[in-house]
Amino acid sequence: MLRKCFLIMVSLALACVLTAGSSFAAGKVKVGIMIPTTGGTATDGKDMESAIKLAVDEINAAGGLLGKKIVTTTGDDACDPQQAVAAASKLISEGVVAVVGGYCSGATLPTLKLYGEANVPIVIAASNSTALVGANPGIGFMINSTGDAQADTAVTLFKSVGVKSIAIVHMGEAYSEDLASIAKQKWEAAGNKVVAYEVVNKGEQDFSSLVTTIKSKKPDAVFWTAYYAEGALLIKQLRQGGYRGTIAVGDGSNSPKLIEIAGKAAEGVYCFSNPIVDYLPAAKTFAADFKAKYKVAPGPYSTLSYDGMKLLADAVKRAGSFDADAIKKALKATDNYEGIAGPISFTDKLTLARSNFVTLQVKDQKWKLHQ
Amino acid sequence: MLAKNKIKLNNIYALLVVVVLAMPLVANNYVLNTFSDVWFYVIVCLGLNIVVGYAGLLDLGYAAFFAVGAYTTAILTTTFGMNFWLTIPFAMLFAALSGVIIGGPTLRLRSDYLAIVTLGFGEIVRLTARNLDITGGSSGIYGIERPFFFGIEMNGNIHFYYAFLLLAFLAIFVSYRLQYSRLGRAWQYVREDEDAAEAMGINRVRVKLSAYVIGAVFGGVAGSFFAVKMTAISPETFMFTQSILILLGVVIGGMGKIPGVVCGAFILVLFPEIFRFVGDMRLLAFAVIMLIIMLKRPQGLWPSRLG
Amino acid sequence: MSTLDIFLQQLANGLILGSFYSMVALGYTMVYGIIKLLNFAHGDIYMVGGFVGLITLSLLSPFLGAGWAGILVAMIISMILVGLLGVLIQRIAYVPMLSAPRLSILITALAVSMVLYNFVMSMTSGEYKAFPVDLGYDGLEFGNVFITYTQIILVSSTATLMLILHFFISKTMYGKAMRAIAIDQDACRLMGINVKTIIAMTFFVGSALACAAGVMAGVYYGSIHFFMGFLIGLKAFTAAVIGGIGSIPGAVLGGLILGLLESFGTQLPFIGSEWKDVFAFGILIILLLFKPTGLLGKTEIERM
Repeated sequence: MLRKCFLIMVSLALACVLTAGSSFAAGKVKVGIMIPTTGGTATDGKDMESAIKLAVDEINAAGGLLGKKIVTTTGDDACDPQQAVAAASKLISEGVVAVVGGYCSGATLPTLKLYGEANVPIVIAASNSTALVGANPGIGFMINSTGDAQADTAVTLFKSVGVKSIAIVHMGEAYSEDLASIAKQKWEAAGNKVVAYEVVNKGEQDFSSLVTTIKSKKPDAVFWTAYYAEGALLIKQLRQGGYRGTIAVGDGSNSPKLIEIAGKAAEGVYCFSNPIVDYLPAAKTFAADFKAKYKVAPGPYSTLSYDGMKLLADAVKRAGSFDADAIKKALKATDNYEGIAGPISFTDKLTLARSNFVTLQVKDQKWKLHQ
Repeated sequence: MLAKNKIKLNNIYALLVVVVLAMPLVANNYVLNTFSDVWFYVIVCLGLNIVVGYAGLLDLGYAAFFAVGAYTTAILTTTFGMNFWLTIPFAMLFAALSGVIIGGPTLRLRSDYLAIVTLGFGEIVRLTARNLDITGGSSGIYGIERPFFFGIEMNGNIHFYYAFLLLAFLAIFVSYRLQYSRLGRAWQYVREDEDAAEAMGINRVRVKLSAYVIGAVFGGVAGSFFAVKMTAISPETFMFTQSILILLGVVIGGMGKIPGVVCGAFILVLFPEIFRFVGDMRLLAFAVIMLIIMLKRPQGLWPSRLG
Repeated sequence: MSTLDIFLQQLANGLILGSFYSMVALGYTMVYGIIKLLNFAHGDIYMVGGFVGLITLSLLSPFLGAGWAGILVAMIISMILVGLLGVLIQRIAYVPMLSAPRLSILITALAVSMVLYNFVMSMTSGEYKAFPVDLGYDGLEFGNVFITYTQIILVSSTATLMLILHFFISKTMYGKAMRAIAIDQDACRLMGINVKTIIAMTFFVGSALACAAGVMAGVYYGSIHFFMGFLIGLKAFTAAVIGGIGSIPGAVLGGLILGLLESFGTQLPFIGSEWKDVFAFGILIILLLFKPTGLLGKTEIERM
């Protein structure tokens, strides 16, 4: 029994070494993809991976990068900080020249230091918490607008529909709390009132007492900053409880599932969204190619992921080498790169230089662009 | 026969020590990181083993102690600019204190109530960390500086590999000494028959409390090193599932048996890494294996004759 | 809304939430009463119940529609199926462990919970599933207090189920046997009661009730997901302890009290909603420390 146990341990260890052995074949260059492929956010993660691979195929078909073919390797961060560190170490040890990905902000956060120490640039496609900006050692390039930009979009919308007081509800994790606190700050700075600032727990189903609290404070609008699943329940229960004001949700709730779960209650709900395929004229070919290759429609972060990969390739070409410092310099110097999700330039803090948020509204059980 | 077995066993152990010491010479970063995780789980599993294995107290909130250690180091190094090595005693102190706070009043409870209370305590610690400003709210604390060890900045996987390896050896040594100490025998006595133990003059409350405190200190130290290795910690790391994971490590290998617990920690980390390609199914497979082990070998995989 | 309106509305909210807790707490308390097992997997049974309900409902809706008739039939079928699942779990996982130390059987229960949880997670890829019913929000309005018909139907069905359970336990032979086993198993065996069957039946009834709660939650809230059992399992356990674990009226009372505590808890001054769960767990711990027998439980002296 002991020997068996020992043998199992040694073979496990060996298997580990072998599967991770880096293969640096000539004429190839390795790019890492860091996204969640397991856990509750795996659907969006796999969708991002597909989009990046589509971009890689196109680049390779057009002759590759500086004469070399791109191969990808995926690290699963599982939307969990601890697993993200393991994934980042795996990518770094496999000798990737750069990484594209980053979905959950909380998971992306601790990896920035690792990439910084290894000097591996990462194009962050989706994660957009402002905490990332402070933790960035000069290697992370965020091509999704941050919570700041989203909060501005929200303030503009609320003003345009004549809202005077709002209630903000978040879910107590990095992404939604970040957005909630920025929105509160900006809304109050604009001279308006936040009458309720509440938090719900992941996995809760009954928000009736929260609804009563919100109703009793009579806000003109309710702003939900977290994800679609709990958001749909909140919307449904707000309407059931007789709340008739405006409801708006953040980009984490941008999903057809929200409408499916909330049903009739979702009618008229506003959503601030990063540019998704349906509203981007430049992304028509991308959407068609994606559908042809994977037999499913591209998801919410696919265009940004695709742009991230293409942008990286563009920067490498401009740098003329695979040297990390040269790539970083070229990425930083990006001037209005024409992505399918819109033009990309970076600020001094390496965030997207413009706001890419649009406002959507549910009409006839579908997300429609709000003018 | 027994003596012969013993010699063989010692040879195997010696070989293992050489293998783990020499590993960084051949392994890449990813393997080193994975094995740092293994040693990390060896430490926390041995810590929980003292509570569950030795003293027989089911603790479902062990991640709380680990969180206390990690947050203590993170706050002291970032907000107060303290040297990492000086924060370790504080991490130990606060972890021990939290052990007293949770252990003190709850030790009269029945084992199933104790399980729920510890679970609740674990959640309270996590939620408190999430709600307070000093712990960085739900984003947690990031930008924790890497420590220096005799002038060398500990920034590579290899440094943490050896750091956790050393701590794991220390944990094994301490556990071993504790197991055969007066206190260790008292724990086993209390675990097997509490009333008889008390009748023999063992102070039941003090003995159980010391299990909590020592177990908590293991977790606290591991948490300190965890914080500087990750450089960023957030409440998500200390969820209920983390406590369960650590408990699994203890149970799979065999509660109360040091080599068994070490073996359990190995399986805990390596199994999911190797079966990554199975996707979500790996957790199901893990759960089913766990259930089978509980039903077929409730004493764990490690044979008790070698414990 | 006036303070009175808020009070009445929160009272209604608390009672509705509490009736869910009571249904799940009943399963905990029945199983605990009879074999002294804290069934960690019970919250996951509730979750599985929701999914079984969703499947049967989508299979039935072409024939019966997604109205109340369809829901009722789907609920009865899923209650039977999930009840059998409960018995199966008991046979596979708990029967072999009955003589094992309490620690081992607790960990086994934890393992069962993990299996159910991970099974549903891998089947649904961790996604939220929408329930294919939309019952609308018509209801009764008393001034500013608003109660939908759905809520009224849900609360009255839980009340009906509890009355049936009460009748079953106090009037039938099986119920009497159940209570007898809780007091002294060995004596029952000597009196010719088939202890095994009665224990299995307890699991059946407890699981069926949790399943009913799961289906109702799906219908009421409109979506289900793989980890919805964790929080409610914990809270239902709290409810069972508040009422006194092992006591059936205690579970119902405990559920309602916890529901009310929670809905009025968000209204407390000085405590933000972010501290709500800390407050709930704090109450649980304090209660276990000072009155582990709960409100209606019997004092019993037991070794740890």
